[in-house]
Amino acid sequence: MNIMLLYGTETGNAEMLAEDIMAELEGEHAVECRNLSDFAPDEFDAGRLHMIVCSTYGDGELPASAQPFAAALKAASPSLSGVHFAIFGLGDSEYEETFNFGSKGLAELLAAHGAKQVGERLTHDASGSDMAEDLAFPWAAQTVALAEEAIGENA
Amino acid sequence: MSRAVAIVGSGPSGCYLAQALLKATPDLRLDLVDRLPVPYGLVRYGVAADHQGTKGVIRQFERLFERQGAGFVGNVAVGEDVSLDDLREAYDAVVLAAGLSADQALGIPGEELEGVYRAGRLTRALYEHPDAEPLPGLGRRVVIMGNGNVAIDLLRLLAKTPDELAGSDLGPGPSAWLAASGIEEIEIVGRSPAAAAKFDAVMIRELAKLAGVAIRVVDAGASDDPEGAKTIAALEAIDGHGSGSRRITFRFGLTPVELAGADGRVGEIRFVDGSGDVTSLPCSAFITAIGFDDEGVLPRDALLGSAADREAGVLAPGLYATGWFRRGPQGTIPDNRADAQLLAARILADLETGAAPAAKPGRDAFPEWAGAVGYQGWKRIDAAEIAAAPENRCRVKINSRDAMLALAFQEEECPR
Repeated sequence: MNIMLLYGTETGNAEMLAEDIMAELEGEHAVECRNLSDFAPDEFDAGRLHMIVCSTYGDGELPASAQPFAAALKAASPSLSGVHFAIFGLGDSEYEETFNFGSKGLAELLAAHGAKQVGERLTHDASGSDMAEDLAFPWAAQTVALAEEAIGENA
Repeated sequence: MSRAVAIVGSGPSGCYLAQALLKATPDLRLDLVDRLPVPYGLVRYGVAADHQGTKGVIRQFERLFERQGAGFVGNVAVGEDVSLDDLREAYDAVVLAAGLSADQALGIPGEELEGVYRAGRLTRALYEHPDAEPLPGLGRRVVIMGNGNVAIDLLRLLAKTPDELAGSDLGPGPSAWLAASGIEEIEIVGRSPAAAAKFDAVMIRELAKLAGVAIRVVDAGASDDPEGAKTIAALEAIDGHGSGSRRITFRFGLTPVELAGADGRVGEIRFVDGSGDVTSLPCSAFITAIGFDDEGVLPRDALLGSAADREAGVLAPGLYATGWFRRGPQGTIPDNRADAQLLAARILADLETGAAPAAKPGRDAFPEWAGAVGYQGWKRIDAAEIAAAPENRCRVKINSRDAMLALAFQEEECPR
């Protein structure tokens, strides 16, 4: 599977998790890992799975490194029909009203432009007792399996 | 031989800087020197005990020492145990990331009265910093002066019920102190109007979860500025929250002018409002949370005053500053990450373009650091703290240097 692993981060936690997921997947798959701040909406590729790790910051906002991407996507408003993405969220239930709103908002934004979500959006709670990677690794493996069905194994 | 870099301070700024440096140049010989026997500075001793999610960045910082080869040199105070000049002599680059840990004073008459405390004194005691003074009795009516996140942290901790502290790392002493406080009234006062308050809106919204309080917001006003409007909306949303026995009142636009009291103890704080009228609030304790300042161990003012490029964090050839130590007491943990990443790029560029120097010895210049606390020593302290945590706490901090050092230098048991 050809995977573009993207992260939106504020404190670096999402970046670290993305790097961990890359290390986990790259033995079997072609994985490129990039900060969303270095990714443009016209770089989406229908032959790839776009796997996103995104945190939440402030009052339920997107983290700093995802904001320019979201703004560019809203401005250009391209059709993302045929694009597949999966998304994993990082949040803190201490702020329950806006828990994981960053990944939720980004998923909604991509879907609104026609991109298709693969699998469920899974979220990690920084105030919980799970390690993010313990949730993210099985999620990533499952997501890749689903994407192989949707996009094709040799994509 | 690779270059040697020393970072003074292992709080978030120092750790983020180390992270950015090592990511770009993995073979740097990099040491984080801290005056405490334990790392992570503000994340351990400044982030509130009930904000464990915010402390999650520690997992990133652990990798510096566990995977990226950074050294921890704990219990070594630069400026006391080792001079800044000697450190500069031994390393290609030295970065001051020591933060600002002293409390700013308000500078009004009566500040010396009993019952007047600065926020850092209380947070150090609550979060069990080894240099903390004991927690004082606050009485029934507390006034907190200040509108930053530290003021809100104190307000929230003073207002919480014991059950609401479950999952935190608040220690048994501070927990018992809070449970027995008997506080009935907390007023939080800002000099500025609400729109200019520095606390984050999310910190205000969090107060709506508190079970034992009744919150009132007086004169939040209005604002055209989006940030100000957001702050005001958050305040309006919690106005009227709860019918608990602990009353919380937010007030704005009041400049404190004088503290008064009887028998050397504070009993009243006097303010002037925007129209010059004097008002006063009775109080049994008055807490100032108005920002932080330098401790004076390093000559910060002189270093910044003579800086080659203060904005870029360049103090002199091979000497840099980042985080609050450079910028002053403003900005959150992610702001300091951004600052550190910029400075890392500058340092690496400077190291690249500098004349090929004689190999600097780095930590080898300091054989006495054999007696410093290394990362393994800290991990022994860390493990002991986690192992000893009671059921509703995630850790119990060891609060004395001697106990920390005893654990750090505990001999490994050798199997016979």
